Amino acid sequence: MMNKFFDLRFVIGIFFLAVGILLLLYSFTNPTVMHAAVNRWCGIVFMVFALIMIALAFGKNQADKL
Amino acid sequence: MHLHLVDYGIIGLYFLFVIGIGFLLKKRIKTGNDFLMSTRNIPLWITSLAFISANLGAQEVLGMAANGAKYGLYTAHFYWMGAVLAMLFLGVFMMPFYYGSKARSVPEFLKLRFDEKTRTFNALTFAVMTIFSSGISLYALAMLMQTILGWDFNVSIWLAAGIVLAYTFLGGLTSAVYNEVLQFFLIVLGIAPLVYIGFHQVGGIDGILANVDNAKLHLWKGMSHASTNPMGTDAFSLIFGLGFVLAFGYWCTDFLVVQRAMISHNLNDARRTPIIAALPKIFMPLIVIVPGILLLALQKEFSGFELPLNTNGQTDYNMVLPLLLSKLYPSGILGVGITALIASFMSGMAGNVTAFNTVFTFDIYQTHIKKNASEKHYLYVGKATTVVGILLSILTAYVARGFNSIMDLLQLVFSFVNAPLFATFFLGMFWKKTTPNGAFWGLLSGTGAAALTYSLSTAEGKGGWIANLHTFYSGTSQAFNIAWIAFVICFVITAVISFVTKPKPENQLVGLVYSLTPRQRDKNRVWYRNPVWLAIIMLLITLFFNILFY
Repeated sequence: MMNKFFDLRFVIGIFFLAVGILLLLYSFTNPTVMHAAVNRWCGIVFMVFALIMIALAFGKNQADKL
Repeated sequence: MHLHLVDYGIIGLYFLFVIGIGFLLKKRIKTGNDFLMSTRNIPLWITSLAFISANLGAQEVLGMAANGAKYGLYTAHFYWMGAVLAMLFLGVFMMPFYYGSKARSVPEFLKLRFDEKTRTFNALTFAVMTIFSSGISLYALAMLMQTILGWDFNVSIWLAAGIVLAYTFLGGLTSAVYNEVLQFFLIVLGIAPLVYIGFHQVGGIDGILANVDNAKLHLWKGMSHASTNPMGTDAFSLIFGLGFVLAFGYWCTDFLVVQRAMISHNLNDARRTPIIAALPKIFMPLIVIVPGILLLALQKEFSGFELPLNTNGQTDYNMVLPLLLSKLYPSGILGVGITALIASFMSGMAGNVTAFNTVFTFDIYQTHIKKNASEKHYLYVGKATTVVGILLSILTAYVARGFNSIMDLLQLVFSFVNAPLFATFFLGMFWKKTTPNGAFWGLLSGTGAAALTYSLSTAEGKGGWIANLHTFYSGTSQAFNIAWIAFVICFVITAVISFVTKPKPENQLVGLVYSLTPRQRDKNRVWYRNPVWLAIIMLLITLFFNILFY
């Protein structure tokens, strides 16, 4: 698993997954519906993007490692 | 603008990741070549995104949003006319010479094609330009943080410079390039929701059409004369000044961007790097220009979207993006937006510093100070130059604080240096009789002509150091005209001197001049591996958008 940190797609994926989770969790504390919706949807989109990047890092093409 | 804990958490997470990438790459850096050239071992998708990300600095992100509000959709010319065509030309025609010559930098290519004095002149002007540019990025970041977040100017400068130093010192060019890719995604994903929310608030396309002056929603309408369009420029200056001279001068000869393609796995990847990068570049106006247009609509529909005034009492268009972030983003995603802005500043700064250390080490130190030293020695020199580059950038940032006009000066220096340089390259690559003396004196004359034109004309109260013989409708128009005049002077002087001086022998120009170099055969490749086919596709997409938004 540590070896995966040498794949930029994995690093980018982890970063956006962390930010996505932060936004999603924070959305539950937002006082207004509008603000909560913005953070929730952005969090979900970031997480989807992150998972795609992580999946690509686990794919067949291993030539893109750092 | 007030940030919450979650916003600071996102900014802190970003800082952690960029430094982390530097640490990860540290153990892979063993030689000067690893540090300064990434051993030409970077995958295509990374070089392509780094290629446009190196240009996605502060001036781009804040400046284009500002131009979007000032000039409307006409600003897209900086992309579709002023970038894409030049990027395609670089990939199809020029990259085989850069990559094939095995030159490690653009100045080194000039040495191979012409001589040492042309190389040294270009290396010195480029080194000064990159330090200026890096310092201005730092200054702008600190000013922005001070204005919108109330952060201390000194803390912002030293914190941002310290982080850029950490990851470029540890991982060299590879670290800068990898962080540029992360920064690219952060900028796109951090600002895209702003565009979506803005569209939603103004009522979509209908809301824009109803609330924005129709004159700002076209690309070519009113371009027959400088007085009949918001940009204040005419079609000739736009096409020749921006589309040809400035665009080709920057994208085809500026080592900062060319370096990203030169570190590819092989020649085919190097050629495809700027061509593939053209695709996101075509759509980039959606992220960086549309916010400016959205602000115009929001100002008509709602209160509180008025731009502040700058110290000269004029509307401060540079505040378009910060204003929209503060008005449309709630805490949480606001942290992402602010991080995207910080990323754009750091991306611009790191790109300049890594280009500076390569040019200084190879083209100044190795050439004039210590030849034939060990790889380890050049690694230390590269690292020391990185530290010096950052310190000089900090110094420039403090100098910029005391002189309001230094940013305008920087833009001028760019047009003084890059515009004539393209004439030198154009003649050097496509006319075998271009001589070293012709190139050197042409370059010098072109740069001088640019300075003289600026000194004899004014626009928006700037210029006219000697006398005011002509007043341009806008600063943009002045820059376009200076560029084409500098190009023509350089072109003519280079050609005239080349006719009366001795060219290099043809056997020394193989791989450096078009007519003396065997053609690349890409016929057997599938279309997506063929640079020519890819370039045609990008060209058609660009043409489509020009017609759509005529």
